[in-house]
Amino acid sequence: MTQFLSFIGDNIQTFLHFTAFANLTVGHLVMIAIGLIFIYLAIAKEFEPMLLVPIGFGILVGNIAFVPGFKIGVYEAGSVLNYLYFGVIQGLYPPLIFLGIGAMTDFSALISNPKLVLIGAAAQLGIFGAYALSLQLGYSPTEAGAIAIIGGADGPTAIFLSSKLAPDLMGAIAISAYSYMALVPVIQPPIMKLLTTKKERLIRMKPPRAVSKKEKIIFAITGMLLTTFIVPSGIPLLGMLFFGNLLKESGVTKRLADTAKGPLIDIVTILIGLTVGASTQATTFLTWKSVGIFALGAGSFVIATFGGVLFVKFLNLFLKEGNKINPLIGNSGVSAVPDSARVSQVVGLQYDKTNHLLMHAMGPNVAGVIGSAVAAGILLSFLM
Amino acid sequence: MKRTICAFTGGIIVLLFLVTGTASAQNVSDLKFNEILVHNDSLNVDAFGMHSSWIEIFNSGYNTVDIGGCYLTNDKSNPTKYWIPTGDPSTKIPARCYLLFWADGKPSRGILHLNFDLNNVETLALYDASGRMLVDEITVPKTQYSNTSYGLIEKANEQGEKNMVWTYLEKTTPASDNDHSKKVSSGEQFVKYDPTGIGMAVIALSVVFCSLALLYIIFKNIGAIFTRKAKKAKTTGEVVVKETKSDQISGEVSAAIAMALHLYESEIHDDENMVLTIKRISRAYSPWSSKIYTLRKYPQ
Repeated sequence: MTQFLSFIGDNIQTFLHFTAFANLTVGHLVMIAIGLIFIYLAIAKEFEPMLLVPIGFGILVGNIAFVPGFKIGVYEAGSVLNYLYFGVIQGLYPPLIFLGIGAMTDFSALISNPKLVLIGAAAQLGIFGAYALSLQLGYSPTEAGAIAIIGGADGPTAIFLSSKLAPDLMGAIAISAYSYMALVPVIQPPIMKLLTTKKERLIRMKPPRAVSKKEKIIFAITGMLLTTFIVPSGIPLLGMLFFGNLLKESGVTKRLADTAKGPLIDIVTILIGLTVGASTQATTFLTWKSVGIFALGAGSFVIATFGGVLFVKFLNLFLKEGNKINPLIGNSGVSAVPDSARVSQVVGLQYDKTNHLLMHAMGPNVAGVIGSAVAAGILLSFLM
Repeated sequence: MKRTICAFTGGIIVLLFLVTGTASAQNVSDLKFNEILVHNDSLNVDAFGMHSSWIEIFNSGYNTVDIGGCYLTNDKSNPTKYWIPTGDPSTKIPARCYLLFWADGKPSRGILHLNFDLNNVETLALYDASGRMLVDEITVPKTQYSNTSYGLIEKANEQGEKNMVWTYLEKTTPASDNDHSKKVSSGEQFVKYDPTGIGMAVIALSVVFCSLALLYIIFKNIGAIFTRKAKKAKTTGEVVVKETKSDQISGEVSAAIAMALHLYESEIHDDENMVLTIKRISRAYSPWSSKIYTLRKYPQ
């Protein structure tokens, strides 16, 4: 009987040793708190809920302390989470998300006023500003390149590039990119107001002309050919983006377009959000490097907004009266679609209740998506 | 002016074609002779403990290539001298990897043992499965030193241009890269010349601008063509039914947008149990939903 009790006692002890309570560290608690904040922001404040709920919950999943060796964690070969994480490491999910984005994006605003595409290019200043800052802070060139892409404000692109250049930092980079994308309505308005005069904020832009179906189809094909001929390393992202758009605009592949922008992107968003969140295990995530990445991410968003707004002001120097661009749409070159365009609309309405900038802001916004994918391609070819 | 812009755009595209190189397909043509050791007196041994001559083949592509079915020869008048057996996993060379063949004249020792040796060899050639198409060949110098391999390595010429050249190697490197010197990654090299990152910012931003500016120029012209077409159709009185349908936003669409904006701005929009749509809603007929049956009949 004593032997049996001692046997049971030993087993209970082993069981207790295997519980998360026995393996918990302060780091795990901090990460769980961050996960809860993400979920709170998503549900209560509606900041990017589609992304922050899966990521926030993923953080909780990834930070349940466990004894390694039982194929549980995301970093353990053969575990279910590891299989799902494969799509992140190999850069499989981001192009699929881009396919969906392409299928749900209307490039009409851009096609009707092509000069807005240049704002999307100017806002990429954030990427290269962050690259220079990261180098100064002692990050290696590949790490600096991966961190810099946060300035593109494009989650899938950030994951894609960091999986190639600095896989170790991918969790921190993805979390940072998505967090700041959610915080676009907080970060951008003060900068926009700082850089513009009241007169500039009241500029009314010409209504965009209607764009025919033919033009949209030509845009999808030529856009892909042009951008990928210049930066072939952007093929996975740009190819899928324009392919998705062609599915939408061709009008003959409605079922495929519906799948790409519906079930497919939803499934991939769930997988990417959960696994990226789970990859933030306190043991690998809570380092000074991650803290640096968060600081640089904020810096890159600020620089990108500066770049976009100032470029519009510069462009206005050469435009005739009546053709001028409202600099409040400069911020939307940061490709957080459609949040940054929404910020332009909201700030614009604060100064003129009848001046709707949303349609105009969508132009640079989608150009920003193309621009950040091109920038990612350049960083890949320069640093790989 | 527009012609100038078109010519400029065309010029840029042609220039980009001119300054780019060619890409190779991922197949047998990716296989290259990489290193040979003619006099293996005391270096590496095969599975039989013999110091035999060897030939190293490199898969320069980015996909696994099966060398099975190809031919190796030391006599170009007999291109099918040694047929590399097919269906064996050892003949599959992963991307950027190497395969070693023992040139000992003893094919009975395995498929990686050739039926010829390298004594007095002048040429080595690799033919594809047809035995007619030459994949790669090397001319072997008569002078071959003991335990010194002859391999392909990158060297700079007098003008500083880097080329791959065949030379005697300081170290034999069977089944591995011939250059064992410390390599600097392109990222590190970039930082060496541009420690502040400003150069990268300028170059990369210029590339982003150029690609998007190209897009701008092309779509400015395409837009102009479409606008001109629409104007022409109007002046000639031609009715382009299809174009007008997609070119003009109908009253219903404008009304729906205005309604949505009004609801959004006045913050009276809430989660509705119905959807405001411009799509036609089809309802299957049923006597239960038929309006006729729900109407009151006039008394007779």
